[in-house]
Amino acid sequence: MQTKQPRRPGELVFNLAMVLGSLFLLWSAYGISGFEALSAPGAIPLVTTAVMVVCGALILRDTLRKSATTAEKLERDILPLPVIVTILAILAYALALKPLGFLPTSFLFLTGLIGYLRGGSLLRAAIQSLLIVALIYLVFRIVFTVLMPPGIVPEAEIIAWVKSLFAGGGT
Amino acid sequence: MTFSLLSLIALGTFAGIYVGAIPGLSVTMAVSILISFTFSWDVYPALALMIGIYMGGVYGGSRTAILLNIPGAPAAIATALDGYPMAQKGLAGEAIGIVTVVSFIGGFVGILSLAIFAPLLADFAIRFQPRDYFLLGVLGILLVGSLSGESLVKGIFAGALGVGLGSVGMDPLTFTERFTFGTDGLRAGVSFVAVMIGMFGISEGLMQLHTLNSPVIKQKIGRIVPSWPLVRKHLPLGMQTSSIGTVIGALPGTGGDIAALIAYDHATRVTKNPEVPFGKGAVEGLVAPETANNAAVSGAFIPMLTLGIPGDAVTAIMIGALFIHGLNPGPMLMVDQPDMFWFIVSSLALANCFMLIFGLTGIRAFVKIVEMPRAVLLPVILLLSVVGAYAVSNSLTDVYWMLGFGVFGYFMKLYGYPLGPVILGVILSRLLDDNWRRAIISDQESLWMLLKGTLMSPLSAVLFFSVVLIFVSKTPLWGMIFRKRAA
Repeated sequence: MQTKQPRRPGELVFNLAMVLGSLFLLWSAYGISGFEALSAPGAIPLVTTAVMVVCGALILRDTLRKSATTAEKLERDILPLPVIVTILAILAYALALKPLGFLPTSFLFLTGLIGYLRGGSLLRAAIQSLLIVALIYLVFRIVFTVLMPPGIVPEAEIIAWVKSLFAGGGT
Repeated sequence: MTFSLLSLIALGTFAGIYVGAIPGLSVTMAVSILISFTFSWDVYPALALMIGIYMGGVYGGSRTAILLNIPGAPAAIATALDGYPMAQKGLAGEAIGIVTVVSFIGGFVGILSLAIFAPLLADFAIRFQPRDYFLLGVLGILLVGSLSGESLVKGIFAGALGVGLGSVGMDPLTFTERFTFGTDGLRAGVSFVAVMIGMFGISEGLMQLHTLNSPVIKQKIGRIVPSWPLVRKHLPLGMQTSSIGTVIGALPGTGGDIAALIAYDHATRVTKNPEVPFGKGAVEGLVAPETANNAAVSGAFIPMLTLGIPGDAVTAIMIGALFIHGLNPGPMLMVDQPDMFWFIVSSLALANCFMLIFGLTGIRAFVKIVEMPRAVLLPVILLLSVVGAYAVSNSLTDVYWMLGFGVFGYFMKLYGYPLGPVILGVILSRLLDDNWRRAIISDQESLWMLLKGTLMSPLSAVLFFSVVLIFVSKTPLWGMIFRKRAA
């Protein structure tokens, strides 16, 4: 029944990491309450991590049985440059979100990433980003009242100004 | 029912469709945010808006499942299995059209069941023992593990990982720390929404970077409203899965997600010769989960209104809303305030009709999303994912969790691990843990007594043998036995 697909680059390392991680979690689960009782707080964690160890070992065994010869390459098929750049961009976005604020960070994130992934004019990417950020801000901040970090933007003043516009229109 | 209430149901349903469809926004989140600004309203308009969002949101989750392979909600996980292959073939309009109609049918069956059989079904649900809930949870994880991946072992691994993740934090019964490693940040547990957005939003976004330069499939949306023969052909299956959805939805702690998966499994078993194989764009693979998850919406109200026990997370929030308005959901609510029961039933029925109208008329604009260049769409999805994760508790920690799970989920996908069981495991972790402990304590910590009790009870025995059957039927042993018999 087994398909003899070749082993993908990094698959062995990942599956080995899964087994080692599961063993560590099993040890941690044992540390919760040991084999104290079947209703102990560690009972379900112990069973689930034991299941992970057994399944992880079976998966590793199957991986070892696969042929190591493959046309795939790690840098092309598993971790190509756009994936690495995107992960780093999300990380940079998360780091800058609080100090800079939602509006400028989102604009920079979208402009940079759209510009990188699509290529071509950065101005076009900036205009698209501006429209998208404005729409998201309207839906999340104004309609759903989700609090986003204001950062360097005087958000309270902007919202007060928008509200005063509506208040003015109502009188 | 006044015009303002009708408008609120319509507005809620319309908003719900988009809330459910946008990755990173959840119905649970939207309804919980709504509580904060409907606090000063009367109970009826507040409920009308929430019911609209709930009904529209469960349906809306299917849209991104079909168009982007990112289920907008856990209830749409099974929909993606056949919906996305249909969109890849340029049949997104047809897929959304049939999903809209069958969601309406499922919703209608659920509402009728709520109105007619509420007391009977509630009576059935109350007979469930803790061991039955435990077995139901195991059944759900095993089903999704066997359905959504290349190997059952990887599915079970993913499900166990999810249950483990769900148990991180303080044990609610004994306040013992579990998998916290002495850090304060882990004592409150791992945010389910962060795990879900990471696994389904970020990892899918990263996966799609591999095919960034592939041509965008123009979605042919010539026919949105499905033909009557097509609907009639799938009506028997739809009625069966609607019933499954109502019953599963009525079980506290379970919801549209499990209902949809069980219904999908039911469809794979009863459909002998689908025109297109399951997983490749079978219409039956859309009919089953979508009728079931919309039927489960009304099902979830049954234990809420008759027992005061929420059917799922959204009805749990609605119970909170009723408490805020000085009402006490439970058996006496139906006796003391029958109008409240009938108001909810009629609001659900109206929301179901609005869902059909908005669902069938808004597809063309919505389908345009997939025709956007992926280089623009993907950064927007990633941005929405970050915003959604942040909005859970206004905390950047959840954003880091989301990113971590996104990258981890990306590698899991690359190496053939299904992600559905991880999410289901996280959702069901508490249900499994609590009910296992209740069951084993009531059987005096004896495994033998637990097994005996399971086999003596018809309900438990059926669930137990279902678990065994599904497990065995997906192992090589099953194939060996049947090959031998065939030979």
